[in-house]
Amino acid sequence: MNKFWKNGDPFVWLTGVALMFSLLMIAGLLWLIMAKGLGFFWPAGVTEFELQNDTKIMGEITAHEQIRGISGKSDTVEDKFRTQLKIGNRDLFGLDFRWIDDDQIVSQSEPKYAVVMERREWGNFYGFIKEITKNGAVICQGNEECWPKLEEDILVYANIYKQIRKIGKSEIGGINREIENYRLKIRGIELKGGNPEQIKQIEAKIADEENKYKEKEKELSVLYEEFTKEKVVMLSVDGREKEMALGNIVLAFRPNAMNWFQKASLYAHRVWGFVSDEPREANTEGGVFPAIFGTIMMVLIMSIVVLPFGVLAALYLREYAKQGTLVRIVRICVNNLAGVPSIVFGVFAVGFFIYGIGASIDSFFFSEALPNPTFGTGGILWASLTLALLTVPVVIVATEEGLAAVSQEIRHGSLALGATKFETTWKIVIPSAMPAILTGLILAIARATGEVAPLMITGVVKLAPQLPVDGYFPYVHLERKFMHLGFHIYDVGFQSPNVEAAKPMVFTTALLLILIVIALNLTAIVIRNRLKKKYTTSAV
Amino acid sequence: MTAQTRLKKKDNQQASSGLKRRKLADFIATSVVTTGGIAVILSILAILVFIGIETVPLFQGVKSELASSFVLRESPELSSYSLDNSDNKAFSFIATGMEEYREIGFVVTRDGMLTFLSLTDGKTIKQFPLTELEDSKITASFESVNNKLYSFGTNDGFILPVRTNYKIDFVEEKRVITPEITEGDLFKVADASLIKIAYEESEEDGGSAAVAYTSGGELLLAALVEPEDDFGDSEPKQLTHNLTEELHGNTVTAIELDQSLENLFVGTQNGKIYHWDLSDKESPEFLRAIDATESPNTEITALAFLLGDRSLLVGDEAGNVSVWFEVPDKSSPTGDILTRIHQLSPLELPVTNIAASARDRGFIASDEGGNINLYHATSGQMLKELSTEGSSVQKLAFAPKSDGVVAIDKEGKMFNWSLDNPHPETNIKTLFGKVWYEGYQKPEYVWQSTGGTDEFEPKLSLTPLAFGTLKGALYALFFAIPISIFGAICVSQFMHPSLRNTIKPTIEIMAALPSVVLGFLAGLWLAPIIEKIIPAVFTVPIVLTVFTLITVFIWQYVPRGIKGRFKDGSELFILLPVIIIGILVSLWLNQPIESAIFGGSYKEWFYSVLGLQYDQRNSLIVGFAMGFAVIPIIFTISEDALSSVPKHMTAGSLALGANRWQTAIRVILPTASPGIFSAVMIGLGRAIGETMIVLMATGNTPIMDWSIFNGFRALSANIAVEIPEAPHGGTLYRVLFLAALLLFFFTFFINTIAEIVRHRLRKKYGQL
Repeated sequence: MNKFWKNGDPFVWLTGVALMFSLLMIAGLLWLIMAKGLGFFWPAGVTEFELQNDTKIMGEITAHEQIRGISGKSDTVEDKFRTQLKIGNRDLFGLDFRWIDDDQIVSQSEPKYAVVMERREWGNFYGFIKEITKNGAVICQGNEECWPKLEEDILVYANIYKQIRKIGKSEIGGINREIENYRLKIRGIELKGGNPEQIKQIEAKIADEENKYKEKEKELSVLYEEFTKEKVVMLSVDGREKEMALGNIVLAFRPNAMNWFQKASLYAHRVWGFVSDEPREANTEGGVFPAIFGTIMMVLIMSIVVLPFGVLAALYLREYAKQGTLVRIVRICVNNLAGVPSIVFGVFAVGFFIYGIGASIDSFFFSEALPNPTFGTGGILWASLTLALLTVPVVIVATEEGLAAVSQEIRHGSLALGATKFETTWKIVIPSAMPAILTGLILAIARATGEVAPLMITGVVKLAPQLPVDGYFPYVHLERKFMHLGFHIYDVGFQSPNVEAAKPMVFTTALLLILIVIALNLTAIVIRNRLKKKYTTSAV
Repeated sequence: MTAQTRLKKKDNQQASSGLKRRKLADFIATSVVTTGGIAVILSILAILVFIGIETVPLFQGVKSELASSFVLRESPELSSYSLDNSDNKAFSFIATGMEEYREIGFVVTRDGMLTFLSLTDGKTIKQFPLTELEDSKITASFESVNNKLYSFGTNDGFILPVRTNYKIDFVEEKRVITPEITEGDLFKVADASLIKIAYEESEEDGGSAAVAYTSGGELLLAALVEPEDDFGDSEPKQLTHNLTEELHGNTVTAIELDQSLENLFVGTQNGKIYHWDLSDKESPEFLRAIDATESPNTEITALAFLLGDRSLLVGDEAGNVSVWFEVPDKSSPTGDILTRIHQLSPLELPVTNIAASARDRGFIASDEGGNINLYHATSGQMLKELSTEGSSVQKLAFAPKSDGVVAIDKEGKMFNWSLDNPHPETNIKTLFGKVWYEGYQKPEYVWQSTGGTDEFEPKLSLTPLAFGTLKGALYALFFAIPISIFGAICVSQFMHPSLRNTIKPTIEIMAALPSVVLGFLAGLWLAPIIEKIIPAVFTVPIVLTVFTLITVFIWQYVPRGIKGRFKDGSELFILLPVIIIGILVSLWLNQPIESAIFGGSYKEWFYSVLGLQYDQRNSLIVGFAMGFAVIPIIFTISEDALSSVPKHMTAGSLALGANRWQTAIRVILPTASPGIFSAVMIGLGRAIGETMIVLMATGNTPIMDWSIFNGFRALSANIAVEIPEAPHGGTLYRVLFLAALLLFFFTFFINTIAEIVRHRLRKKYGQL
């Protein structure tokens, strides 16, 4: 026995446990997010249960667990289980999910004709088709007859919906913007003294725009009429009927009647929808496109700011400053700043950027809009600058390491051949250090994509009405608030009215975020390796 | 000149002009880089400076300035009033006040004339005779803390409430204020002259109550109760009670009534305070009489309620000023006792007036020597001293926005001060020490920044938040340190170098995971699961250790041929399935253990045996999640440190007969310990600054409790949650900046130590 302990192997293996446990944790976490995230889009089968009290209930099975009694103790010796069903039909039943005790189930089946509908309001619907009406007249009845018609016509109305959105958002939106701009102009003139002539001119323009608006309104009402012409009457499993316009249905499918291939193509369609659609139902359904866009645009602006400044500072520290204790201290300080909590930067941004610089910009350039702040409140510009400040130490450290790796001989050789210091730096040192600079930039981006805390207070919102980029001058609107993937996770997971319904979506968003971050990190590694090969000088 | 020399000269010229251009470019580049570099570095450091500047106003004192002073009788309308210095009771000016912009004030004289005057020069603006009084003379006055309702008691036993209104118009961008008054209904309280009165109107039920002390020595309560049925216009019922009995003959010198008409406090000449409960107007209940002064028979000269009507301010003949409120006490018949909370910095002479702020828990007190002190009740500090050049202050008023003080002295001179007091609530003690808040049994550390009403007492102590931050960080390290350091030892000492190249990137992926995702998983997925399997959580380490030892034991007997196939250290991968099986076994054991040891429900057991409450989102969850975030940091740096130990030390130790475990623990680990220390420091810094995980995985309750089963609130999460709601430039805003400053310093300090240690270590290895 003693020998067992003496050679120290048990302890070695115990350290191995620690390591393996960490590896398992990572793998487990990634697998969990992938399974729950990817699984969300797979069309799950719909099960119909008949219960002991002669009622029927139908929906997707979402969970199955052992019951614990009220006091937390588990009941008698037998195992008792219960199942969670997503029953949808919130407009009929009042809630999306229901638990049923397993011992209440008399029988279950998977009806072939059960239809799952994703709707624009009220969430999912699970039921059977009773009939379709157009302009009040019944054009088909029953599941078999109506299903192909339903599939076709949904596409037609999806198009009409797109048109309605286009007119509503871009065209009427554009008219509103013009009117608002004119109004601000009038206010600006009033503040400066007021030239009644000019004001009258602008008011005439406003009247013009309002006429345009009325015309668009007419167009819209025609479309709306068209939109609600065709209706489908659905039967829910308990016999109740629900009539809904075909235009309100985003997607309809019959999971129990689909083969694997059909399910796969629906899966791909839904994944694409997730990435390209806008959110619905308080961010618990629909897509995350605005969040992806916001995240990417913010990261772009941040990179544009952080790269030159970080490289500049690193150049100064390494090449141009006199190396001594002061520079060493400054270097330590800059390194440490990478460890300062991100919320501190957020606080600084609120005080300095938003209430300081932002308020000044407002009083100089946007005084007509006051007291509504333009730059004196959170926006994509301030958020990007905050993150730039946060990640500049990362870029500085990485660039410095790259610059330090360039041997002095190369510099001396260049200078000896008559190049100025600037030329040496620009043409020889920086290109050699380019892999390190890019690594630094990509690490900065990877870190910025994952930071949420400072953004929460500098300009990210739950739901942004517009994207920061649109077709109206100045095309890039830096004062607008935006959506962000990381904040989306926090908001939907913790501040949405229906957390159970939202959870799968949060897993998917988390998966998306992780994929982006891992992809960025891998890119950093690959670029670094590639450029290392390209710029490595031969051994001297 | 020959063609050749001409060419040469041209060449030289071109060369020199090209050289000039290049030199210019070099010069520009140098200046750009230097200024740019310095600017970037300075701006990074400027963050600290800026945040610091924003917090400084919290600790600055009060600024005051005498805006104007004038003798009232110099104004023609007021020249006829007597001052009669020999007898204080005949001082003509019986009340004073002002409006919120401090442009117009007023004085009321005993003949029933209310005069509005300009506070800048004392010129009369308008005069209103109080017509309801007819021929009565005013003998007593009372002011409600909202600065708008004034009541006057007469020499024939009536009380008249008067409201002041200020109409504000803007004429050509300038503010024009027009004052006027609304007289209430005169009602009779007694048949004698009223010496002291108190009168309040309840906003809730429209009733009102007046308390008066007559020249005949009687203390009377008159309550006007709105009738319960509102059929028609029935008059409010007046209920009169004589409360003199309980006084046992003592003379009343001060009366105070709260706005909800429930508490009546009466101060007497022998230093006692009498307390009545008036919630039932049909039968007022006498609660208690207490000695309120240090030495007996010191007259109580002034009583006032602080904003919120919970704290009572007491001023006495000796110049003492104290704050009292009711403190829960089980031994008392009413469940609480009136306790002196603060004995504030005293005035020199008898206190003449106390006026409370309508905005915060500050107040002013004046004495017969002309001194006026500005106090803040919650922090128990004196903020400012004002003076009327030595003559007794007869009447005192605090501006509605608490930005000014008006006083009338015995000589009939009115003084008008302006005050700049933006952050009265904070000093080092209230931010970090224990404070006795209204209604608490004793001084405590509390963070509760906002409440439902304007009268809420803000409790801004950073201690619970700092405690929370530390608690979260320590639990995270508790989980992370063993795993990461042992893991680092394993990878650097016991594994083949090629394995290192696959394991390191994997752990680095852990570092790249956004903390939002970790927080979300911890709060939404892990917390409900852990809640069900707590016994399993505690058995996992034991089970895993046992299983590992069994595996090692079995491994000994595995034939050499198979053992040899495994690269150095890769046999440890066998542990992967072992761990999985171990965890499954623990989960399977969860149920039986819970029934056997915890009697079926661990929550109940914890509560009854250990007194611990279990919250679903607690420090255990945060420990796991933050630990997960911190493990890669500690692992990477420790592993670097361990690998950098020169190989000849390992070789030497093994050659001398030590086994690999002894080498690792007794030789390598101590050598690399500075690096490991540095790693832990950096991990600690990261854990302290973590915001999202804490925000999502704790209950965010600012409690100070080491229990692992309840939550906490950290500085970082608190800032994130409260800063969007904090009014710009207000006290909460600046306190949050102070919290950010604390975080900054703490992490900076920790990281600097870690850097210095690492630096030294590098040097040391160079020498080894």
